Amino acid sequence: MFNNGDNKRHKVIAISPNGPTGNGDEVEARFLAPHFESDGFPWLQIFGYVGSLLLTIAALLAVVDHILPAFGLLVVILVLAVGQAALQLGIFMHLRESRGSTWHIVTLGLGIVIAIGLVGMSMWIMTFKSGVS
Amino acid sequence: MSSLLALLFPPSTTRNMELSADVLIILASAAIIFYLTRWHRWKYLWREWLTTVDHKKIGIMYLIAAVTMLFRGGTDALLLRAQLAVPNNHLLGPLHYDEIFTTHGTIMIFFMAMPLIFAMFNIAIPLMIGSRDVAFPRLNAISFWLFAFAAFLFNISFVIGGSPNAGWTAYPPLTELAFNPGVGQNYYLMALVVTGLGTTATGINFLVTILRMRAPGMTLMRMPMFAWTTLVTSVLILFAFPPLTVAMVLTLFDRLFGTAFFTIGRGGMPMMYVNLFWLFGHPEVYILVLPSFGIFSEVVATFSRKKLFGYSTMVYSVLAITFLSYGTWVHHFFTMGAGAAVNVFFGLSTILIAIPTGIKIFNWIFTMWNGRIKMTVAMMWALAFIPTFVVGGATGVMLGAVPGDYQFHNSYFLIAHFHNVIIGGTVFGLMSGVYYWWPKVTGRLLNERQGKWAFWLFFLGFWLTFMPQYALGFMGMTRRMYTYSHGFGWSSLNLISTIGAFVMGAGFVVMVYNFVWSQIHGEIDVTGDPWNGRTLEWSTPSPAPEYNFARIPVVTDRDAWWAMKQEQKTNVVQIKPQEITDIELPKSSGIPFLMGLSFFVFSVGMVFSWWWIAGAGFLGFVVCMLVGTFDYDDHKEVPRQEIQNTESAFGRLQG
Repeated sequence: MFNNGDNKRHKVIAISPNGPTGNGDEVEARFLAPHFESDGFPWLQIFGYVGSLLLTIAALLAVVDHILPAFGLLVVILVLAVGQAALQLGIFMHLRESRGSTWHIVTLGLGIVIAIGLVGMSMWIMTFKSGVS
Repeated sequence: MSSLLALLFPPSTTRNMELSADVLIILASAAIIFYLTRWHRWKYLWREWLTTVDHKKIGIMYLIAAVTMLFRGGTDALLLRAQLAVPNNHLLGPLHYDEIFTTHGTIMIFFMAMPLIFAMFNIAIPLMIGSRDVAFPRLNAISFWLFAFAAFLFNISFVIGGSPNAGWTAYPPLTELAFNPGVGQNYYLMALVVTGLGTTATGINFLVTILRMRAPGMTLMRMPMFAWTTLVTSVLILFAFPPLTVAMVLTLFDRLFGTAFFTIGRGGMPMMYVNLFWLFGHPEVYILVLPSFGIFSEVVATFSRKKLFGYSTMVYSVLAITFLSYGTWVHHFFTMGAGAAVNVFFGLSTILIAIPTGIKIFNWIFTMWNGRIKMTVAMMWALAFIPTFVVGGATGVMLGAVPGDYQFHNSYFLIAHFHNVIIGGTVFGLMSGVYYWWPKVTGRLLNERQGKWAFWLFFLGFWLTFMPQYALGFMGMTRRMYTYSHGFGWSSLNLISTIGAFVMGAGFVVMVYNFVWSQIHGEIDVTGDPWNGRTLEWSTPSPAPEYNFARIPVVTDRDAWWAMKQEQKTNVVQIKPQEITDIELPKSSGIPFLMGLSFFVFSVGMVFSWWWIAGAGFLGFVVCMLVGTFDYDDHKEVPRQEIQNTESAFGRLQG
């Protein structure tokens, strides 16, 4: 059932050493018929999935049951969130499967800049509450 | 039983207008079912359309859905304008009016503009970049069906359960359960979550397609401009839709499960909803307009018979707009009172966007300069865009100036401004794209004479509708007021605006007539290149075969097809029989449709808080995921003989 490495279903044509032939096969070989090199039962992915669920449930329970005062709760759910982000990036987002890390650094960097920018600016915008109330 | 009936058919669904809509819906559905059964079309429908993963067919389905939704949203608009045509009118009551402007806005943005943009992506992008399909064809079909079922869900609200009524922005406390009982608002929330999932998947799909599936030799700086704008639009989607989904889900939690994220009476923070919504909402307006900028770049270059002026500055402008668009969202709520520093920052960042946009406007004008301009309908929409968008942009700068905004905000000046940019930018652009690429997927050209009628009606109707609204805004007419009295002096301007709206409606009717007529009697495009085009999609026959390219072209220049024509190398699209190989293509699948259906069932369960139905829908989704995951039989081979026959029928066989 888990025959991920089976290449027989898809024709994989090597790229001509003389550059593109124009037959388009190099495009197909890579992208229309991707194959991931992995054998056996996907334990890692199951671990990632269950781990993500547990981290989410832990965050939810921590908040619902008020296990700590507000500041402590914030720290706990932030730590859980960062842990889960790392888990998902590492296991499901193919962070470890690249042919080169340039694109990863650029896109992750952009993502982090925008995320921090949006969160930071939202906090700045919301400071008006202390001013008006 | 009677409580169930009261839930399904509250008073807002049993007004005369809604009941007559019921009758029309039942008659239309019966007619469609009769047609499909009488002519044995069910199997054809399932095999060729509902299960297809071919990007061209998905594009056509997006197009049909978007035109249908334009009809629904346009009908809403005409009802609103009819209500406002004269003072003290009672065609619609206040609640009815609220419902109709809510569905008008939501449908036009999420279920008309977005799918029409995705229609253009699907129809043009793979052909333009020399690819046989998108990167994830089945995901592409899933995106479509999530959108289609979400649109269906949203559209049944006004006949079953009650229509949402809190505006397209759905701010709390208007959406709080205490002030807005009934299920209408749940429809809005679920429909946006589901279509948002599909949109996000489309963003990923086209991002990967453009980055990884371009024909050999097509570097990023050789891509057609539309591919560039699609690329950055996809990036915008990826960052913009998560805040929307979060805002929707948290509101849903407040309404269904008694949380208090935005419920002010229990310590919630409705202003955070406003912040999250516009974190999405501002990039969204660039998601709407950037694809049109790409279409204009293609259309203007093609019909001026010149290469695009200032290609690289166009690219940098688009990138600048993308980046800046993330720093402007507060201009949608300057009057929330976030303080001078915040407002000044966001006011300046808003006005900054006018610079790259202005550069683009000048580049289009310089592209036309000294060009041999051909006045086709596609070109007319592009030409109409320029003055219209300049007016809309200028009023945008007025609104971006914070002190001014305190005067103009929430008035008809704002209404006129955003219709001016969204219709003048997005809709004109998409119409240009429809007339431009129609032959590529249907094989027939749209009739130009009818198209010009539709254009002039729509264009003049547009100015007639929205210019008076700027003045009405200055005269103090606020948005969302359902009626007004004689003494304000608004009557004649409102009447002119309503007349304009009906002229636009007439333009829409002529356009649909044009589509249908041309599909039956239209000129057949035998060359595949009716406009003397510049980019690769025009190197394929019309309609393009399922595999797009018998041989993937090798690109050596920007405007690849134009370069081939200049160098007399157009025979590269002809293939020798011995060179033909089997082509592997993705196989049709029922999973995307069934997954959309599962989401629909789940959403109905959530809307009415029928947890067992929601559970059944969720189960259906899990089954679809499992079956899809372990379905290795997802490819098919198109045999060489079949390709040879197809190519020879198009006269594209060498020797």
